[in-house]
Formats: sequence, C-alpha cells, structure tokens
Amino acid sequence: MLSKITVSPAPHIGQPLSTQRVMLDVLIGLAPAVAASWYFFRWYAVTAIAVCVAGCLAGEWACNLLRRRPNSLGDLSAAVTGVILALSLPPAVPLWVAAVGGVFAIVIVKMVFGGLGSNIFNPAMASRAFLTASFGVLMTTWTVPAGLDAKMGQMAMTNTSATTQATPLAWSKMALKGQVPAKEVSKLAISSFWGQEGGCLGETSAAALLIGGLYLLARRTITLHIPAAVILSAGAAATIGWLIKPDVYVSPWLHLAGGGMMLCAFFIATDPVTAPLTTMGKWIFGAGVGILIILIRLLGEYPEGVMYAVLIMNAFTPLIDRCCRLVPAGGKPNV
Amino acid sequence: MGIFNRATFAGGIHPPENKEFTQACPIESVPLPKQLAVPLSQHLGAPCKPIVGKKDVVSAGQMIGSSDAFVSAPVHSPASGIVRDIALVPHPVIGRTLAVIIDVDREKSEPKRPRCEQFDDSFNPHQWTVEQICTAVHQAGIVGMGGAGFPTRVKIEPNPSMPKEVLVINGCECEPFITCDYRVMLEWTWQVLAGVRLAAKTAGVSRVRIGIEDNKPDAIELFRQAVKTCPDSEDIQVIAVKTKYPQGGERQLIKSVLGKTVPSGSIPPTIGICVLNAATCAAIAEAVALGQPLTHRVVSVTGRAIARPGNYYVPIGMSVQDLIEHCGGLTETAAKVVLGGPMMGCAIADMSTPLTKTSGALTFLTRKEVTEARFRRRQTPCIRCGRCVMACPEKLNPTRIAHAVKAGKLDLAQQYYITACIECGCCSYVCPANIEITGYIKTGKLLLARAQKKI
Repeated sequence: MLSKITVSPAPHIGQPLSTQRVMLDVLIGLAPAVAASWYFFRWYAVTAIAVCVAGCLAGEWACNLLRRRPNSLGDLSAAVTGVILALSLPPAVPLWVAAVGGVFAIVIVKMVFGGLGSNIFNPAMASRAFLTASFGVLMTTWTVPAGLDAKMGQMAMTNTSATTQATPLAWSKMALKGQVPAKEVSKLAISSFWGQEGGCLGETSAAALLIGGLYLLARRTITLHIPAAVILSAGAAATIGWLIKPDVYVSPWLHLAGGGMMLCAFFIATDPVTAPLTTMGKWIFGAGVGILIILIRLLGEYPEGVMYAVLIMNAFTPLIDRCCRLVPAGGKPNV
Repeated sequence: MGIFNRATFAGGIHPPENKEFTQACPIESVPLPKQLAVPLSQHLGAPCKPIVGKKDVVSAGQMIGSSDAFVSAPVHSPASGIVRDIALVPHPVIGRTLAVIIDVDREKSEPKRPRCEQFDDSFNPHQWTVEQICTAVHQAGIVGMGGAGFPTRVKIEPNPSMPKEVLVINGCECEPFITCDYRVMLEWTWQVLAGVRLAAKTAGVSRVRIGIEDNKPDAIELFRQAVKTCPDSEDIQVIAVKTKYPQGGERQLIKSVLGKTVPSGSIPPTIGICVLNAATCAAIAEAVALGQPLTHRVVSVTGRAIARPGNYYVPIGMSVQDLIEHCGGLTETAAKVVLGGPMMGCAIADMSTPLTKTSGALTFLTRKEVTEARFRRRQTPCIRCGRCVMACPEKLNPTRIAHAVKAGKLDLAQQYYITACIECGCCSYVCPANIEITGYIKTGKLLLARAQKKI
C-alpha cells in the first residue's frame, strides 16, 4: 500500500486547466475570424493561414531540436502565433512571405528570447513589422474581397482596379490629405464592421472578431481590462480628433470597426506574455495601445497603427509592471 | 440576500466542494486503539516537557506534558494506560516530534463520548470569573482547532495593551471535503454557543459575529435560533458569508464579516479582533463547564479512496493507520493521504503519524483525482496569464515571488512581500502551467527564516 502513496506539496487538487487549453481557447476564439476570411478571400485565406501556422510549427520544432528541449508543439502557442500572424497579412501576400513570417515570428522573436513566456515582443506583430520592412509593396497590396466588386464603384475613385482596392484606413489617410471628403469615408464604418471592405485577412470582419472576443471573455481566457482599455481609449482619441476637424478626420466608428482594431483589442494586445500582469498595468497598457493606434492613424505616415502601437507598448510592459506593483491586502508590511 | 451584498472578500477560488461524502454523517465515537502517541507539541509556541516517565500509569484526562512558557498549551492523555515510551514519532510538517506513547488499558477505559447534551439554552457564562475561565482554558490545553493551533488562552485573555472589541467565530470550513466543524455546529450547537459566550466574556468584547458559509444554511438557521436565547447585551449575530475558498482564513473572514483589513504582517488583536474556530469554542465550553481537557476532537475521514467516510470523535494521538482500519481501509484506487483538506493539508507517507489537536480531517484522494489535478501533468513555462494574481486573496503577485525564489533571489521575493502570503494554495490551484507556486513560496519562507537565523 505504501509504495502507491504519493506525497507532494499542497494544494492537492487543481483546476483542470492547462496552457494547452488556454491556447486552444484562443484558437477557438479566432475561428469566426478565420471563417470570415475564408468567406471573403476564399481558399487563398485558408492556404495563407495554413502556411503561416506550418512555418511557426516548423520553427518551434527546429528550435526545440537545437536547444535539446522537449517538443513543445503540443502547447499550441506556436499555432496561435501562426493564425494571428496570418490574419494580419494582406490577402495577396505570396505564400513564401507568409512562411518566412511564420518562421521569423517563432525563431527570432520567441525562441531566441527563451521560448514560451520569455519573449518581450508579440511574435506575430514583430514578425509582421519585419515583413513590412522587408517586403513593403507585397505587404500593402489589398485585394478586393471576393464577390464584392460591385461595391467598388460607390466611392467613384479613379485609382482602383478590379483586383485591388484601398482599405477604409487608406481612404481615411487620403481624407487627411484632402483628397476625398472625410464624411464619405466615414460611411464605410458599417460595411467595415461586417467585413465588406478590403483589409488584412482577419481584419475584414469586426463582427467575427467580436464574437471570438466575447467567447474568450466568457471562457475567462482573457479579462475585460485590455480590450476595454484599447477600445475606449482609441474611441476617445478618435472622437477628439473627429470633433476638432470633422472634415479631415473620419468618424471614430470607422476607426473602431476598420483595420486591425478588434483583432488587436481581443487577440493581440491581450497576449499575456507581452502584457502587464496587474489590473492597473493592463488598463495603462491597453490605453497606451489604443491611443498610439489613433495617433499613428491620424498623424503618422502609415494608414494602420496596430502593429507599432502593440510593439511600442510591449517594450513598456516591464516598466509598467515595475510601476504597478501590487500592494498587499493589508498594506505594505514593515519588513 | 442578493448576489452582490453577500459578505465576502476579493480574490479566492471556487473548488468543487465535495462535502457530500460526510456532511450527512453524524459524529461517531471510535473504539480506543491499542496504543496512542500523544505529541508534546501540538500548538504554536514552546513544546511541552513530559511530566510522566516510562512505565508510569496514567488515567484518562491526566496531564502528561506541560511548559512554563506563556505561549504554550499542556497535553493530556485521552485514555487510561501505561506510558510505554517517550519517543520520536512522524510529524507531517517538521518530520519528527517527541510524543508520549501510551499502551491503552482497554479494559479500564471506555471511549469518551461527546458531552453536547449537557448544554442547552439555560447556560449562563457568568457562573465563572474571567480568571477561572482563563485558567480552565489553559489547563485543558486548548489550542485553535482550525489548523494553526495557537494557544487559545493567549488569544482570549484580557490584554490591556490590546483591548478587544469584536469576537469573530469562524464557522466557514471553506476547505473542500471537510465537514467536521459543520457537524459540530449542527450537533453541538448549544455547546459551541456556550463556548462563544464564555470566550466573549473573557475577551471583554462588545460584539460577537459568527461567520458561516452560505453552503450550510441549516447551521446558519440553527445558530440564528440559538442566539435569540442570549441576552441582547451580548450582541451576538450570525452572518452568512459567501461560499468561497479561503473564506475561513482569518484575515479573509474579518474582511467579510467586519469589512476590516488586518495590516500585513500583524495579527487580528492589533485591530481589536479575536478570531476563534467553532470547534475551539466547543472545547472551551467543555473545559470550563465540565473540567474536561482537550483529549478528543472530531475528524472528518473523507474522500473517494476510503471505504467508510464519516465524522469521527477521535482520541488525540490515535495513528492514521488505526483510523483507516476503523474506517474499513483504503480502496484500491487510493493514491494520496492528506492530513487536512486538499487545499492546505499535508500529504503523508507514514501512516503511523498521530492525529493532533489541529487535525480536522483526513482526505483520501484517488489516483484519478491526483492525476487529473496536478500530479504527473508536466510543468510548462509561466505565460504570465495573471490567474494567480486574480485569485490571490492577499493581493500578492504569486508568480513573481515563486520565480524570485526559484532564481534564489530572496531579497526580490521580499520586495514582492513573500511574508504576507497565507499559503492558501489558490495560485497553484488556478495555474494553467501547473507551477507549484505555493510550494516555491513555502520554500522561500523557510530559506528566509534560515537566512535570518530564526531557525
């Protein structure tokens, strides 16, 4: 009898929850967005996502081999990185670029820093930044969502062709330069929300992302703090701009529904590894991301600010964690 | 009572309660075992010195160990017999401890039965003076029976430098599986209430608050009815607190019933509060009114891996092995024997470990439960998900402390307030990476104490 008895430190029971399950939940949360991108961009989206995920898994597998570590593909974190990276790529991106991005995200951004839990920057966003810097043109070619060619004529713009289209955020950039009226561009908010506008594979439908985000909240995989902070701060910043110059800046609704805002709020900024630990820290981090997105969109050269906003705030995470140290329930003890 | 106004604290977890194994089992006496090993240190504070020698004849209730130290409590023999030896016996926390080993004379002594029938609504705590109560409580060797084992006399004695205003009675029993306090509150209601009133009189408090988790509505109702018989001047109230672990932690319970926070690193008396466990109150009543020392206690023997779970009235010093045999033995699937509940209890390997005044339960876990929970599941890197931070009832940053200890940086662990940890285990419970956070913190505290040459 004694030989079968186990001894270990308390507690002796635990929640049936693992890192793998957490990552699986994120994948389930991403499923509506993947489905939406499949609907809008057909098989191209599926292959791009598959290639990205394959790149990530291959990178993780190779690094584990080199570091002589046990295989960690099972924790699904590489798959999550792959899907998020793929969803933030433009639809027309060549598959080899997607593969390079996947490998870079895992090998350079994650494994070189020590693997799961040790990376400073969000792997998907850092890899996307690398791809943008390396293949600028490929990364800014926006294909029209399939079957939506008919809508193209509405804006009556001249520089559109049958296969590519400016994204709503590119339109708003043009509005900034006075090339198109901001009021007209603002009307794109509703179609952006449902996904009938161009954009990255996963950004097209804010509605699908919102459904996935609500699933993550319901499963308590993420807490409300970061998404709420991102959306509220971005909404507030965009509203301020819009109130000051309504004829130049587009409406805050377009900012919230367009581009990678929802993907960022629910899936990218909430990456626990690169976000602060404490509630206060999460509010600060989320607010920083939201404000930076709008600042880049309104004042910067790029039409979209999600990527750099997240990377900049990732860099601030250790500082935020240090500043927002928790005070114990009974106040600071006199050690 | 709505969802939002229930008395509670921030943080905590909701593990499966698993109380159904024993909550309907009435308290049952067990036959005396052949041998008892009564540890000389069953409390916080100075260990007792044996005052009997080898081959001495002892009678039931006779004092067999005592100490002159202020923070200490004597120990008594639960049965008549002969002292066989004074020797080291296994102890779940400190490894080995000195104990008086008694060969029980089973012909002469009868197993003790509960005395709850001697208490009713006519009880008057003013028959005794404060000094008499204090002496009786000390002589009976009463310690906190909820787990910490702090000598009760020290807690309730009037102390001019720290006057006490409120007495909080802990009837939460938030640990999963355990039901010993619940059965005591149900069956010995009058005895518990008598002890509460004696303690309130001694401590000189103006208010008494009895906190019971709202998963025990029958106990709450019984006490609500019982306190109606007390004079209004004693101001005793029963408060239903939210069922949540660790509601029965004294710092959490104080927050829940009084809305007050005990400063970190200090104890409730510094803010005028005295906390006593319900079973301790029953022991006080027995000691003062009947002159009975603390030689027996109710132990929940529970879990899926024991043949006959139940709540047993057990002589202190009885070995785990004897109790297992009385309960029909372990099942085939038994994998872990926990002295205490599954959240804070100690897994023991040596079944000759004796039960002490603070052993409220023996939990027997099956291979399946242990495997599903934590054992064998590989530890993966921390993904900084923050679940431990959200669950921590003391608002600490458990993962940071654990990592600091792991890296050998005790000063960093201190900066994250390692000393404020109450070791409730919530962080380990919720961790998806299966990191033994509580284990690391306990190790860190031990290393820290060693570095400061406290031990």
